[in-house]
Amino acid sequence: MIRLLAPFLALLAAIIVAMLLDRPAPRAEVVVAQSSDCFTLDPQRMSYTQDLRMARSLYEGLVRVDSETTEILPAVAESWTCSEDGRTWTFKLRRNARWSNGDPVTAHDFIYSWRRGMIPETAADYSNFFYGIVGAKEFLKWRTQQAGAYAKGSVQTPEAASRLLDEAWAHFDETVGLEAPDDHTLVVTLKEPIAYFLEICAFSVLSPVHPPTVERFISLNPRTGLLEQDHGWTKPGIHVGNGPYQLARWRYKRDLRIERNPHYWDQDLISADSVEIRCIQDPNTTALAFQAGTVDWVTDLLTDYRADMATQSEQYLDTHAERIDTLVTEGRSLDEALASLPEPGPGERRDVHVVPAFGTFYFSLNCRETLANGKPNPLADPGVRRALVLAIDKQRIIDRVLRTGERVANTLVPPGSIIGYESPDGLGFDPERARKELEAAGWSIREGDTRATNESGEAFPAIDLLYSTNNPRYRDMGLAMRDMWSSHLGLETVTRSMDSKAYKEDLKKGNFMVARGGWFGDYGDPTTFLDMSHSDDRNNDRGYKSPEFDAMLLKASLERDPAERLRILQDTERFLVEEAMPFLPVYHYSMTYMFDPTSLRGISRNQRLEQNYWMLQPVADVPVN
Amino acid sequence: MLPLIARRLIQLPFIVLAVYTITFALAWLIPGNPLENPEGRRPAPEIVAAMEQQYNLDDPFDFYFSYLGKASGISWALGYSDEPFDLGPSLKQPDWTVNEILMDGVPVSLVLGFTSILIATALGLGAGIIGGLRPNSSADMASQSIALIGISLPSFVTGATLLIVFAAWLKWFPVGGWGGPADLVLPAITLSLPFAAYISRLVRFGMLEQMATDHIRTARAKGLSEAGVATRHALKNAFLPVLSYLGPATAAALTGSFVVEKVFAVPGIGQHFVDGVLSKDLTLIMGVVLVYSTLLVLFNLAVDVLYNWVDPRIQLG
Repeated sequence: MIRLLAPFLALLAAIIVAMLLDRPAPRAEVVVAQSSDCFTLDPQRMSYTQDLRMARSLYEGLVRVDSETTEILPAVAESWTCSEDGRTWTFKLRRNARWSNGDPVTAHDFIYSWRRGMIPETAADYSNFFYGIVGAKEFLKWRTQQAGAYAKGSVQTPEAASRLLDEAWAHFDETVGLEAPDDHTLVVTLKEPIAYFLEICAFSVLSPVHPPTVERFISLNPRTGLLEQDHGWTKPGIHVGNGPYQLARWRYKRDLRIERNPHYWDQDLISADSVEIRCIQDPNTTALAFQAGTVDWVTDLLTDYRADMATQSEQYLDTHAERIDTLVTEGRSLDEALASLPEPGPGERRDVHVVPAFGTFYFSLNCRETLANGKPNPLADPGVRRALVLAIDKQRIIDRVLRTGERVANTLVPPGSIIGYESPDGLGFDPERARKELEAAGWSIREGDTRATNESGEAFPAIDLLYSTNNPRYRDMGLAMRDMWSSHLGLETVTRSMDSKAYKEDLKKGNFMVARGGWFGDYGDPTTFLDMSHSDDRNNDRGYKSPEFDAMLLKASLERDPAERLRILQDTERFLVEEAMPFLPVYHYSMTYMFDPTSLRGISRNQRLEQNYWMLQPVADVPVN
Repeated sequence: MLPLIARRLIQLPFIVLAVYTITFALAWLIPGNPLENPEGRRPAPEIVAAMEQQYNLDDPFDFYFSYLGKASGISWALGYSDEPFDLGPSLKQPDWTVNEILMDGVPVSLVLGFTSILIATALGLGAGIIGGLRPNSSADMASQSIALIGISLPSFVTGATLLIVFAAWLKWFPVGGWGGPADLVLPAITLSLPFAAYISRLVRFGMLEQMATDHIRTARAKGLSEAGVATRHALKNAFLPVLSYLGPATAAALTGSFVVEKVFAVPGIGQHFVDGVLSKDLTLIMGVVLVYSTLLVLFNLAVDVLYNWVDPRIQLG
């Protein structure tokens, strides 16, 4: 019997020891739940929202965006000037900006970091954000060719690779428009004036990294001549940043904790001394964790029943609409107003908040002359594309399918999101006009038929509607659209679902007629939404090529008067969403947040949704255990 | 005994190599490029090419052999790489090496898996003994009905139910975290239920069979108490099938915990592995498979050795 029990007792002892070794840390002042972990803390490699949000706490760029007003504020740069021709920007860096190890932040750090973003080895998704700088795009291509020639050559030794790298850096210094006349002055020369250059500078991919720390983890591969970057420097204890917070703990897909950076120059900016980001993948568990008080803010509530939660929240807002109006007119924030109201009654709640976001959900319409299977593409005709757009009742899709209070989208740029920019009207729901557009394009429903045919009697090919399986909403929307096209235009639609990897491959190959898509803006200028329709853009999945549209974008970029430039961009967008229609915009995204306004403040409701952890403020004392 | 261990250890690398090869072939066939994000901006072609070269993604044979060399420590032994057993950086989460991910995740999965096996054994034994001693009593009926539910219900249902009742309503346990013993209770119970149910049926059947044998009659005739008869004589034999079941059960608890990990936000390897497959993170997939297949072969060996130790009559070939 002892023999029988022994292994179990040994196992029990081992578990107890393991549990004792893994003791929980004290609760942070604010705990945030996210459905996925940060992918990287290397700012030059970032592209996900949660990474960029974290970067704004761990790093500080030249300037930053005010979360409430979306104005550009000084950050590491205390002032800047732009030359008469709009091409040369001179930034004066503040002398009290410090890295979290106490080192001063210099202009050389910025040049080092931006150079990282321009070499192929860093694999920056956003390398094109540097392309406005003189020589940047050319340098990336040059370095690729240089290393390619080396790898094919006969001599591959560590010395040769090191000479190759020296040559590359010398070439960079000679050709790229970045200069540091002294430690606290950065001069950037642009190819052409960029009206929104400061917006780009505020983007986290242009944040500096601490060169000595990053260099410790870089090695040179003598075989390829390329740098190999190990990311060991993004770990707690090693990481050095220049933002309001420093990295205290990071465990893979588990939790990430940041704490006040004592070397940060503007200590008053920081509200909470510590913030923890907890990674909880299951949406229902996230909601329960919020209810149990484990987390204070859910950044992306994705439960299937969130529509019902949103309705309960709306109910509460309706009940107290008058009082809220009065309080907000008196100058209180919406959260302050909500916190002062009585407890929610049955069927009501005030901890779920649907907030508009800086992005648009659309369906891509394939504009290529032929489809991937070699057959002619009827959607190559812009008239057909307009007809498809006009036949969709977006409000109905939002009310019946989505049910989370999204805003109908007839444009790509969410209206009101960019100061000084007025959105065009776009095409709304107009089945009458849709039929006319389709007829003008040569397709109509003839007597005794239910399907649209052309003059020679051939039926309109079935629309191949592609969506990915990662969200059941896509299928529901696809089915709703199939019915609308069938009843309003007599068109047949075949929906096709793919796993998101396979879906992306089909999208790249142009193997679809209609495919679901979406886009979030990166910076406060309409071009963040319009550039992807440029003929040469890598993200132009629709295969839309129009010299006319490209010329309009160019015209806007050459315009020096900001107001006139935005007006040209308005025309450009109007052309895109009223005439050319490579897109069928459906709705502007919104996010569903969970937080209790009586206990947490500092979450911005501006639709750019530039949330910053340093703004999070516990109202009452959150119990610390 | 020693020849058995030696033979199994010699077999180990071949089993692991076979698992590695099959998994690699399947993982390579997953569509898509792990270096690109499913949504959002596309990196420049030059950048994708440079990354593919760095990670050997441009050639499957190159990847297969260089990864195997680094992971097995052969490259290190030959002086080609600085680190033995280097499973490479994760392709999707470039800040982490697979070694770091496993170091964090494997202990979590082991604690969860072993705890659930302990709970399953305790629950299963209790229910099985009651049932075996008093067959068809109301206690037996109740425990067998619960066992049936335990086997039939998927763990995302039992897990969510336990969470709602014990974490959200009663607030006995925390939710959405991992670290203290309290965080372990609900996921371990959820994971243990199907195993507990199976064990209880094994024990019940074994006890029924044992209680009718001659040596039990002899033990009773000697004047032993009924409890003594049951535990010292009947249970000892009735438990043997449970012991042989525990080998595969432990393997299943360690590898099959991803649903439980997801429902309870447990940062274990099961969840990371499924994420890796979904995003075609080749290095992560291969690293997890190598470590897990090695561990499983070793656990099975350990169970066999234990079996022999508990009951020396059993000769293992």
